[in-house]
Amino acid sequence: MASPSHRRRAPRPDRRGALRRRVPLRLLLPLLVLVALAAMLMLRGYVHSEILADHRIQKPAPTTEVPEDILEGGPVIDARTGKAATLSVPDHRLVLTFDDGPDPTWTPKVLDVLKKHDAHAVFFVTGTMTSRYPDLVKRMVDEGHEVGLHTFNHPDLALQSKKRIDWELSQNQLAITGAAGIRTSLFRPPYSSFSDAMDNESWPVTQYIGSRGYLTVVNNTDSEDWKRPGVDEIIRRATPKDGKGAIVLMHDSGGDRSQTVAALDRFLPDLKDKGYEFDNLTEALDAPSAHSPVTGPELWKGKAWIFLVQASEHITDVLVVGLAIIGTLVIARFVLMLLLSGAHARRVRRKGFRWGPPVTQPVTVLVPAYNEAKCIENTVTSLMASDHPIEVLVIDDGSTDGTARIVEAMGLPNVRVIRQLNAGKPAALNRGLANARYDIVVMMDGDTVFEPSTVRELVQPFADPKVGAVAGNAKVGNKDSLIGAWQHIEYVMGFNLDRRMYDILRCMPTIPGAVGAFRKSALEPIGGMSDDTLAEDTDVTMALHRAGWRVVYAENARAWTEAPETVQQLWSQRYRWSYGTMQAIWKHRRALVDKGPSGRFGRVGLPFVSLFMIVAPLLAPLIDVFLLYGLVFGPTQQTILAWLGVLAIQAVCAAYAFRLDKERMTHLISLPLQQILYRQLMYVVLLQSWITALTGGRLRWQKLRRTGVVGAPVNGAVPGGQAYQDDRRPVA
Amino acid sequence: MTHGHPTGAGPVPNPAGPYPPAYGTHTGVAPGPAHAFPRQQTAEPAPAPSPEPADPPAAPKKPGRDRYLDLLRSVALVRVVVYHLFGWAWLSIVFPSMGVMFALAGSLMARSLKRGAWSVIRGRLRRLLPPMWLFGGVALTLLFLSGWNPGDDPDQGGGSWGLVKLFHYLVPIGAPPYPFESGDLGVLTGGTWADDAVGPLWYLRAYLWFVLASPLLLWAFRRAPWPTLLAPLGLTAVVGTGLVTIPGETGNAVTDFAVYGSCWVLGFAHQDGMLKQVPRYISVSGAAFVMAFGLWWASGHLGDEGWDLNNIPLAQAAWSFGFVVILLQYSPSWRELPGRLANWDKLVTLSNNRAVTIYLWHNLLIALTFPIVDLLYELPFMQSERGVEALNSTYELWAFAFVWPLIGLVILGTGWVEDLAAKRRPRLWPNGSKSSRPKARAHRS
Repeated sequence: MASPSHRRRAPRPDRRGALRRRVPLRLLLPLLVLVALAAMLMLRGYVHSEILADHRIQKPAPTTEVPEDILEGGPVIDARTGKAATLSVPDHRLVLTFDDGPDPTWTPKVLDVLKKHDAHAVFFVTGTMTSRYPDLVKRMVDEGHEVGLHTFNHPDLALQSKKRIDWELSQNQLAITGAAGIRTSLFRPPYSSFSDAMDNESWPVTQYIGSRGYLTVVNNTDSEDWKRPGVDEIIRRATPKDGKGAIVLMHDSGGDRSQTVAALDRFLPDLKDKGYEFDNLTEALDAPSAHSPVTGPELWKGKAWIFLVQASEHITDVLVVGLAIIGTLVIARFVLMLLLSGAHARRVRRKGFRWGPPVTQPVTVLVPAYNEAKCIENTVTSLMASDHPIEVLVIDDGSTDGTARIVEAMGLPNVRVIRQLNAGKPAALNRGLANARYDIVVMMDGDTVFEPSTVRELVQPFADPKVGAVAGNAKVGNKDSLIGAWQHIEYVMGFNLDRRMYDILRCMPTIPGAVGAFRKSALEPIGGMSDDTLAEDTDVTMALHRAGWRVVYAENARAWTEAPETVQQLWSQRYRWSYGTMQAIWKHRRALVDKGPSGRFGRVGLPFVSLFMIVAPLLAPLIDVFLLYGLVFGPTQQTILAWLGVLAIQAVCAAYAFRLDKERMTHLISLPLQQILYRQLMYVVLLQSWITALTGGRLRWQKLRRTGVVGAPVNGAVPGGQAYQDDRRPVA
Repeated sequence: MTHGHPTGAGPVPNPAGPYPPAYGTHTGVAPGPAHAFPRQQTAEPAPAPSPEPADPPAAPKKPGRDRYLDLLRSVALVRVVVYHLFGWAWLSIVFPSMGVMFALAGSLMARSLKRGAWSVIRGRLRRLLPPMWLFGGVALTLLFLSGWNPGDDPDQGGGSWGLVKLFHYLVPIGAPPYPFESGDLGVLTGGTWADDAVGPLWYLRAYLWFVLASPLLLWAFRRAPWPTLLAPLGLTAVVGTGLVTIPGETGNAVTDFAVYGSCWVLGFAHQDGMLKQVPRYISVSGAAFVMAFGLWWASGHLGDEGWDLNNIPLAQAAWSFGFVVILLQYSPSWRELPGRLANWDKLVTLSNNRAVTIYLWHNLLIALTFPIVDLLYELPFMQSERGVEALNSTYELWAFAFVWPLIGLVILGTGWVEDLAAKRRPRLWPNGSKSSRPKARAHRS
């Protein structure tokens, strides 16, 4: 990950250019991951007959166009040459046929019984099942049975186009080739029975399939084992009369086949005693084998197909495990949040709760500003109304829009302006720290508006000498737009649930740049702010934890800020946040093995933060992937219900957070849409951060364009404007 | 304007049973190869007849057109043509053209109604009827030539009642009648071409109803905005779900009025700036809920065409309503098309200036493309099995390619009637390019 390097920020245009050039790769990789995942899921849906499945069955039709020879003839129809002929199995020979397999449960049992009685049979396998269980098909061939085509996913061919028929056959053949390395020339149509059941709809199909070089095999006796009529009945139906030869229809797939297996175990020895032989079809007909070995590209194509299907099966298995993990994590997190934030709220709202003696000493407020001309006046004015004694330091970081002059022109006695060449926000804060007169330092953004009581509320926890830093409560001012409402929900939940929980767990990962307070004496030993990471606020907070300071949350210290108004701004803001967090975690990774408070944070706080901020969001898209999969292929209704269930949990948590913060509930109306649209955006951002991190890339600075439209709910002051916006990290 | 569905078999609840399945099998039209049934969907929206290209609106402060709304109208028109040609049900979800068209028309109506109601209604009729008379004249001629006798058509009520209904070709207070089984006439074969050609005229009836009701609706809307906005949805839940069935053409008319009424009133809300007053997160989220309800309702009431909302009134009403809320909420009021969209400027202008013509004629023209595509089978180098196969699989694409030139021809041939009806100098090809644009501008300001 990012190696610490003290990089000076380059002039803006270059940085923008660099960013633009990077975009394709950053978009391409997440896109590729998504496409690959979608393709795998499609493949899975396909071999599980969840797509392209066609369960219609042709209604019986007249038989006027079927030759008499066929209707009266034997069960093996050879239409390979223009003239159709039929073949019958000689007396005292029996050909067992099993349709629709292979099945992972029953086919091995059938094969075992056949082996036990030294019998051969014919398995008409479907392409989907063959693709999923290739080993069983290999075993059939190895043990001397014949396999035949039963189409890829079992449609009634009389209803299909020639194109589809060709495709059903070739895809079925491909799967068999991949599984066993052979081709077969046997075919049995789905939903078929006896020769005399051929009609005007199915006969042309049989002719066509004959023209493609296949023998169509129907049957003489139908055990109707799929109806599960009982072992005796299956045997009765399967047994031919008077020692005649026969092709017997049975099934090794499609449900519970225990009766079939049991019937075989009796049927085989009984008929053997009566002088029957159990051969595969070509043995019974004394014909050359229906199998022919495949080599070369065809074989490899088949093997590749089987490999892909197997991979998709395994990938979905992995995904399901991932889904279980993420489900547990999400639920655990919600439960933990509700419990701990409830405990926190109870504690700090208890009557007579105090951090210690009231803190009344004056404090320094640092306002780093870069091109904040639009809002700096509002910001400073709001500070002037503060009911706590303060001095204000505005550090102008090389603004080009006269930000500094605006402040100076206000002519306020306790406001100082410090100018520096553009050096970045951490440098500006450090300069402010060096110039601060008081030990307690409040940091805010140039476009944020404080309430009169914000500073006082924010510094009260310092009455406890163990507290080194305090996080305030940043609130979205422009929450009437859709994207604003979504961020509002996110902020309220982030502050009132996440931050309370982190407070109790003593691993608050971030002091928001918009509203936070520090002890100068705590910052100085760790070297102040650093620009090692893109998230200097997270970085410094972690450093304070490691130095043994407590970091707490002051719920009544509210600051109003303008949230990004466009997807693009939001995107770059969140990209910086999530990548910056990763950098900070990486930077402080050694805390894991440290002793003392640093070790405590490293072994409790860091894993916790990593789990909830980095790992969980990465797995979270699985929920949506499965939602989509379930909507398209799956049990649609259950999928929607499950999703609504998750949504309900979210809604409960959000409502609780809103209640804690005494916010109006109306904004929760946009929660469902947030879950559908907004979250996905955050995933992609996080995925990008991961990719950037893994490829060792380094994110460039990008400034947000502010609209300045926010009407602040406080004292008519209006926050809005520019700059440093992306560094504010109100959400845990 | 958008939308064309046959009186009855369309987005309308389909109260009358005997209707032929909307457009489906054109077997007769494709003679040789028995595959490839051109599928033309009549059961669908037609474009709104009044794009008001040159509405002389009483808005002197805002000269020029809102190109965003123009773009929506063009998209809606193209969608209608594509839908009628390919019959893809999902298009009714991707872009609910009819709702959009009615909302646009409603917005313009609210703007115009700042003048006297009567003169506005007269102006609307004046602009709507002449192009329709021209088309109706052609359609009726074809129908009579094919042997249709409305006085002897039991489907039209029989006897002289059928003749009385012909009045709807003059003033579409009801949808113009046509035979359910049309006779063969030259290349027009297959029994459903009348349904194809005249079916879409239901839209004119719906539009006329809205125009006539607008003064009252606007009055109600300004007094009680929310009830007026939502009442049509409620009405749809009653008359569009089988709870109450109104028989015959009246039933179709009432259902259409209910289904698209909320969209029309949304046009008022947009014009009056009411939409802007609702916080966006509320309107968009609320719209999403209504749309989700529409989809849910549709999932439980799928018709023969599956997810075709045009056959599921309540779903259509809810989905269109939500969709239009979102479109109008974000309405950016472009003075000109931004970015790459600017490349489409001329087509957008043309289709807006000739929206009535395009809508009126497109479905008849689609029916005419099939015989043209069938000619391809006669080409000498297309005789092989592969050639026929290739044509079969691309049949509708060919029809799609041919229908636009045909529409262009009709615009050239009859489009000027729209100008005459609007008391403008007739223009041949009003796509806003230098020669024609100044005139258009001059007219509007």
